[in-house]
Amino acid sequence: MKDNSQGLKIFQEITRIANSTLDIDEILEKIIEVIQSKLHIDACAIYIADDNHKQFKLKAAIGLPKDTAQFIQLELGKGVTGWVAEHHKTLALSDAHNDPRFVYFPEIEEEKFNAMLSVPIMVDKQCIGVINIHNEDQREYSDLSIFMMETIASQVSGCIRNAMLFNKSQMLLKEQTILYDISLAVQTSTQLEHGLWIILSGVTMGEAGGFNRAMVFIINESTNTLRGFMGLGPDSSEDAFRIWTRWGRKKKNMLQWVVQQAEKEEYKNSTFNQFVQGLNFPIRPNENILVETVLQKTSFNVTDADNHPLVSEDFKQALQANAFATVPLIAHKEVLGAILVDNRYNNNPISDEQLRLLTRFATHAGWVIENSRLFTKLLDTNRELLSTREQLVQSEKLAALGEISAEVTHEIKNPLVSIGGFARRLENSINDLFKKYENEKELEKIAGYSKIIRSEVSRMEKLLTNILNYSKAGTLQRAPCNINELIEEAVFLFKSGFYMKDIAIHFELEKNIPPLSLDKTQVKQVLINLFFNAMESMPSGGSLTIKAYPETYVGGQKIITLSIEDTGGGIPQDIYENIFNPFFTTKSTGTGLGLSISRKIIEMHGGTIRVENSIGQGVQVYLHLPLQNCPD
Amino acid sequence: MHKILVVDDEENIRFLYKEELEDDGYKVTVAATAEEAMKKILEDKPDVITLDIKMPGMDGIEFMRKLKEERKDIPVILCSAYGRFKQDFRVWASDAYVVKSADLSELKLTIKEVLGEVEPK
Ligand SMILES: Nc1ncnc2c1ncn2[C@@H]1O[C@H](COP(=O)(O)OP(=O)(O)OP(=O)(O)O)[C@@H](O)[C@H]1O
Ligand SMILES: [Mg+2]
Repeated sequence: MKDNSQGLKIFQEITRIANSTLDIDEILEKIIEVIQSKLHIDACAIYIADDNHKQFKLKAAIGLPKDTAQFIQLELGKGVTGWVAEHHKTLALSDAHNDPRFVYFPEIEEEKFNAMLSVPIMVDKQCIGVINIHNEDQREYSDLSIFMMETIASQVSGCIRNAMLFNKSQMLLKEQTILYDISLAVQTSTQLEHGLWIILSGVTMGEAGGFNRAMVFIINESTNTLRGFMGLGPDSSEDAFRIWTRWGRKKKNMLQWVVQQAEKEEYKNSTFNQFVQGLNFPIRPNENILVETVLQKTSFNVTDADNHPLVSEDFKQALQANAFATVPLIAHKEVLGAILVDNRYNNNPISDEQLRLLTRFATHAGWVIENSRLFTKLLDTNRELLSTREQLVQSEKLAALGEISAEVTHEIKNPLVSIGGFARRLENSINDLFKKYENEKELEKIAGYSKIIRSEVSRMEKLLTNILNYSKAGTLQRAPCNINELIEEAVFLFKSGFYMKDIAIHFELEKNIPPLSLDKTQVKQVLINLFFNAMESMPSGGSLTIKAYPETYVGGQKIITLSIEDTGGGIPQDIYENIFNPFFTTKSTGTGLGLSISRKIIEMHGGTIRVENSIGQGVQVYLHLPLQNCPD
Repeated sequence: MHKILVVDDEENIRFLYKEELEDDGYKVTVAATAEEAMKKILEDKPDVITLDIKMPGMDGIEFMRKLKEERKDIPVILCSAYGRFKQDFRVWASDAYVVKSADLSELKLTIKEVLGEVEPK
C-alpha cells in the first residue's frame, strides 16, 4: 500500500468487478485476487453470514489451505471474526495470537500468521459478513490500509445487496412462473385428484413451496365433516432424503416434470397418503385447528404446537410435527376445505413468505375443487339429457310401430307369401331345367334373379313378423309346452339354411325337463330370431350349440335355462351396448328388431335374456325362464 | 295318396299351395269360401284341411267350429298371415296352427304330423 494512486487503482478494479457480474461467488473470488495482488498480504478470507446472521461461512479465501478451509463456519461473537461481526467494528491486531478474543482454528493453519485485520461487511446496519487479511510478520496496519479495507468491504456489501435483490426478483419470477404453470396445468385438468396432486406437488417442491409435507382436506356436506383427501410427502426421514435427492437431480424443469408425471399414482400407496385419507373430523367449534381454519376462514401458522391453544394433544400426536401451518380453501367466498403443511423432516420454521405462497396455492386448489364439481355436475346433466333423449327416440319409434295397423300388415303379408312362394318355385323349376340343359347359361342367370326375389321377400316377411310382434298387446297365450320340442321345431326351419352355410348343430338338451307354461308362438319367434343371428354371424361355417337344462336360483326358485352358442366371432365392443335397441342393426338387410323383441317376449314370460360376448370367438345367448305351475 | 283341401280366399295362395303340395305327392283340391269348402269336403273327402282364418263371409274359425260339430275326424290346420289369432281361444279347437310364409316348410311339416307320417312334436 504505497500511495493514493495505488488505492485508486484498486477501487477502480473492484468497481469493475462488482459491475461485471451478479454471481456473488465469482465477485468475491475476484476481489480477493485483487486484494492479494495489490495489497501485500499473505492470506485473505471472506465470510458470509447465513439467513439468521448467526453463522459465518467461508465463501472465498486465498493463502489458506483449500481443502479444509471451505468447511469453516464461525459463530457470532466467537473468535476475532465473531467479535467483529457482533460489534460491527474493524479490528487490527499486530499480534493476534495473544489477543484474548483469539480462538485457534487448526484448519486455517493460523499459527504462521501473526498480524490480522478483520473488517465487517455491513448491509442496513446488519453485519452480513467479514473480510479478514492475515500477515505472517507482526505488522501494525496503517490507517490507510484500514480505510482501504473498509472501503472494499462497503463495495462488497453493495455487491451482496445487489445480488440479494437480484436473487429475490429471480425468486419472485420463478414463483410467478410456477404459479402460472400450475394454474395452466390445473385449468386443463377437470379431474379433482389430478389437479390437487399438481398443486400439492408445487407446495412440497423445493423450488416452489418447499414444505416437507402437504395435505388437503375437503368438506363433505352430507356428513358435515372435514375429510382427508390427499397427502403428499415422504413417509419417513429416509424416504424424504430419497425423494429430495431424486428431485434435486431433476432440478431444471421440475414443474414440467411434475405436470407430465402427474398421471403417476405413486403417491396413492404411500403410508402418508393413506394416513391422511383416514382422517375425518366433524365440523364443529373447538374440534381442532383444521376445523377452526374452515370455520373461521383464516390461516394459522403454528410455530410451537406444544403451547398453542387450538392444538390438542391428539392432533399433535397424529401429526408429529411441532410447527405447521393451515390455510382455508375458498372459491367464490365459499369455504371448501383446508390445506395443512409442515416441515416435519428438516424442521425449518415456516416463514411469512412461505405462508403467503401457500395461500396462493390454496386459491388454485379452491378453483380446482370448484371446477371439478362443476364439471361433474355438467357430466351428470349431460348424461341425463342423453338418456332422456334416447328414451324419447325409442318410445317414438315404438309408437310409430304400433300405428302400423294389423290390417295393413295383413294386406301386405298375403301378396308377399305368393310372391315369395312362386319365386321359390321359379327358382326350383329353373334349377331343374338347368340340370337338363347345362349349356343354357341364360337359365343360370334367371335362377339368380328369382333367388333375389325370394331373399328379399323373406326379409320383408321377417320385418312384418317382428313389427306385428311389437305392436301386439302384451298378453300371452300360455299353454303347457315341452321346451325341447319347441327347440326342435324352430331348428327344423333352419335345417337347410344351416346345411348350406356349413353350420354344424349340437344339441345338449336335458331329458325330463318339466313342461313350461309359455306362449309357444312367441317363444318360438325368440328362438328363430336368435338362430337367425347365429346363422348370420357364421356366413362361412361354424358350429351352433343349443342347450336346455333346469337350474335352481339362490332363492330356491326353479328355472329352465336355454343357451344358444355360436362361433361367429362375437360382437365388437363398441356396438355391444346397443344390440337390444330397437332398429339397431349392423346388417344391410336387418331390421334391428330381433333382439329387442326377443327380450320383450322373454321378459313378458317373467324370464331374462343374457348375451355373453367373447370377442374373436362367438356369442352365447342365455334364456332363463321361470318354471311356473302350469294351468293344467 | 293323401288328399288335401286348401281353403283360402286368395287365388294366388291357393294356386301356390296346390302346386307345392302336388309336387310333394298330395292330391289337392281348393276352395275360395266356406260354402265352397263344405261342398268339396263332401265330394272329395279330404284327409287334411288347411284353412285360412281371414275370409270374407264366414271366416275360418267360424267354419272350423261348424265343421268340427259334424266331422271331428278331419284334421284342420289353421293358417293365418300373422300370429295374432293364436290368442283367440277358439283357435285351440284346431289341430294345428301355422303362420303363413313364402317358405312352406313349416306347413308341410305340420301336414305330415297331423297325418301321422312323422312323429308329432
Ligand atoms: N350371434 C351374434 N353374433 C354377432 N353379432 C350379433 C349376434 N347377435 C346379434 N348381433 C349383433 O346385434 C345386432 C342386433 O341384433 P338384432 O337381432 O336385434 O338385429 P339384426 O339381426 O341386425 O336384425 P334382424 O334381427 O331384424 O334381422 C346385429 O345387427 C349384430 O350386429
Ligand atoms: Mg337378428
